[in-house]
Amino acid sequence: MNTNIQKITSQRIGDSYYEINHSTGLKIFVYPKENSHSTYAVFGTKYGSIDNCFKRSDEANIQQVPEGIAHFLEHKLFESEEGDAFARYAKTGASANAYTSFDMTCYLFSCTENLYESLEILLDFVQSPYFTEQTVRKEQGIIGQEIRMYDDDPNWRVMFNLLGALYHHHPVKIDITGTVESIAEITPDYLYQCYRTFYNLNNMALCIAGNVEVDKVCEIADKVLKQSEPVAVDRVFEKEPASIVEKRVEQKLSVSVPLFQLGFKETLTQPRKTLEEVISTELLLYILASDSSLLYRRLLDAGLINEASFGVEYFEGPGYASIIFSGESKDPDEVKKQICQEIVQVREKGIDPIAFERAKKAMYGRNVAGLNSSENIANSMISLFFAGREFFSYLDAIAKADIEQVNHALRTQLQEDSCALSVVNPLDTAKENINE
Amino acid sequence: MTEINQHTIGEGINFRSIQDSRFKTVRMSIHFMLPLEQDHAAANALLPFVMCRASKEYPDFTRLSRRLAELYGASLSAEVQKFGDVQVLSISMVSLADSYTLYHENLSKELTELLCSIVFDPPFDSNGLFSAEDFHQEQRQALETIDAEFNDKRTYAKQRCEQVMCANERYGIRRYGSRKAVATLQCGDVTNAWKRVIQNAKIEIMVLGNCNPQPVCDVFASAFAKLDRNTPDSCDTEIIKAAKECKEISEHMEVAQSKLVMGFRAGAQLDTPEETAARLMVTILGGTPHSKLFLNVREKLSLCYYCAARFNSIKDLIFIESGVETKNLADARKEILTQWQEICDGNITDAEIQSAKLSICNSYRTIGDYLGGLESWYLTQTFRPNIQTPEEAAEEINTVTKEEIVAAANRVTLDTVYQLIGNEGSVQ
Repeated sequence: MNTNIQKITSQRIGDSYYEINHSTGLKIFVYPKENSHSTYAVFGTKYGSIDNCFKRSDEANIQQVPEGIAHFLEHKLFESEEGDAFARYAKTGASANAYTSFDMTCYLFSCTENLYESLEILLDFVQSPYFTEQTVRKEQGIIGQEIRMYDDDPNWRVMFNLLGALYHHHPVKIDITGTVESIAEITPDYLYQCYRTFYNLNNMALCIAGNVEVDKVCEIADKVLKQSEPVAVDRVFEKEPASIVEKRVEQKLSVSVPLFQLGFKETLTQPRKTLEEVISTELLLYILASDSSLLYRRLLDAGLINEASFGVEYFEGPGYASIIFSGESKDPDEVKKQICQEIVQVREKGIDPIAFERAKKAMYGRNVAGLNSSENIANSMISLFFAGREFFSYLDAIAKADIEQVNHALRTQLQEDSCALSVVNPLDTAKENINE
Repeated sequence: MTEINQHTIGEGINFRSIQDSRFKTVRMSIHFMLPLEQDHAAANALLPFVMCRASKEYPDFTRLSRRLAELYGASLSAEVQKFGDVQVLSISMVSLADSYTLYHENLSKELTELLCSIVFDPPFDSNGLFSAEDFHQEQRQALETIDAEFNDKRTYAKQRCEQVMCANERYGIRRYGSRKAVATLQCGDVTNAWKRVIQNAKIEIMVLGNCNPQPVCDVFASAFAKLDRNTPDSCDTEIIKAAKECKEISEHMEVAQSKLVMGFRAGAQLDTPEETAARLMVTILGGTPHSKLFLNVREKLSLCYYCAARFNSIKDLIFIESGVETKNLADARKEILTQWQEICDGNITDAEIQSAKLSICNSYRTIGDYLGGLESWYLTQTFRPNIQTPEEAAEEINTVTKEEIVAAANRVTLDTVYQLIGNEGSVQ
């Protein structure tokens, strides 16, 4: 078959992986790890909860579908006419799972034996959709339970409440599972429509890391993969204003400690942030708010945060980017005030060169450490690929980062007028904590 | 493969190591094991957290954090866990292997010195106490951790079931002690805990990954040689073979999804074929997505979103946890018991047994690829009369027969049913 294989080596680390352009249109990455006992494989599509409005390259019209289909499909693909995929994996011993995020859906397994049999199962069941009225109805029940479980999850609620306060239209504000109402609208036809659009191999990738041989992967791929039409899919988003929806949002739940998320919304000038922009932002956040920062210490000393829960992340994807601070706090509004003050002060002084070098080393070390894990490698490779980024370039970009790019990030990001605070507070009736 | 080197370097002190250049990191840890005691649990629990805040050379939280960041983001973390009736206090460090540093630094030497300094030479103040500020910070954070456990209803329900079930056993003591005990601690209590722990605890030191363990071993051996240690306190666990009657407890809460947790006594003797059979039986019942509970309670009857069984071999307990709509609580419970009875009656297929064996072996054989996994495997092993490698444990699983599985199910008795009852109706 007309398949092209390229070996990519990191001069810095000495590790290599193979990038394969399979003749069916599928991109395959194989990262062998010598003497590894286990192997981790992930087969995914660039299709997540934000993809409810899209345009195929072979059709004239934009299509709109109910929310929650990507996640619904993830559940349903495990079933086929002959039985479910878990029953097939039960015979190989692989441990299988799947997840849906905002911008991708991934099916995975890890194993120590029968790798190529399990790989065949993975590639086969994801390529074999089977939906009927009856199986869709049953799944609506199971997903309804899952939604209710998330309704009780304060960490989940505080995040989606924040996204609702930051975004007017972007579908990132909608729960990944959809809602009880939106999943009630799902039919086999919708599932097939989305499946045929997004589960095209040109829109997918396979990443395998661990005890694996590239030739054998290609053999299985040749055997099991079905040729896909060269169709491209464009994501369609309504124009998102630069402004936020509301500055503060609050919900009461059965919790004993208030939770918060503080988000700073950013405007995008292109579909997605570049690798350099992401690295600069992450360095900035390390300098500003890691446990070695003055801000962290001040918040800790004031009893406003704890080490177990406080964190900050750069939450960015197709058409959205926000910096989000989160944690538990007795006074989230005071945390917000102190973070905003610190940003102003650091901006006046500029980045301390010593803090910059420290952040760079810490980020570099933690990312190299991540290469211990086949699971981490495969999952990172697939998400970087869908974001248009190369795996080893990430490490190189950290090692090569300079202070000016972080100063630029500091000047342009974290603007107070585009920030919102989400709080989950205990219920008023709450003397229900029997946690003694 | 994943065999661990072990030698004793003092009274009740083991040093264990696996040197493996596959890893890009080194993991060093020290674990103090003490019997769970109502009077000491809270002070003990706070100790590793207070110890991790500062050292003589870096006598302040921010300075220490900055030093760790400079060491390529090395992590220093404290943990407190329960293994049966034993409280285990851990301090772990993870850092990049020397060969992966950008400027050829010797990180492992510095980490060893730092860990030793934290353990043996804490920066006590002029009164011979831990810093009051560090103590208060950790006391507050421990209270917040205890309170936060309430936020996650799945964990909370499991804990409540354990507490009710083991109310009259040491195991009923929480890993942090009670909230009240943490709240009333004084700084001197934690300083005394340090003295007690250094002198009396059983100690495990582990060095795993890409580094030569010998220099680390030498440093620790000479540091311990200077101490006058007592014979360590016994780390035995009380086992109740069978439940006398089933305890029932229900609590109401403003939540959308109810939780059902059932606690069982397994009746399986540790380190005998009974234990291995019980492990396989629990996996067949509710350990995988092709287990009886998953396929029947969740998939076939749609009674819950999750329904899983877990075996705690050291304490000889089995827990079945489930997230259920309120109106389905009774049906879910009935179906869980039906599936258990199926195994008792011998209604298990060869395919079910085979897939459970494959699944357990798969998870055992994966352990060797993760330093954290190896550490917790061998830490658990120290509570068993004989230490096994994950490969040996996998071989043993493969020898279990159907008869042994059925016998294991018949040894189990239901001890406690805990229900966290949410809102009625459930559609919000």
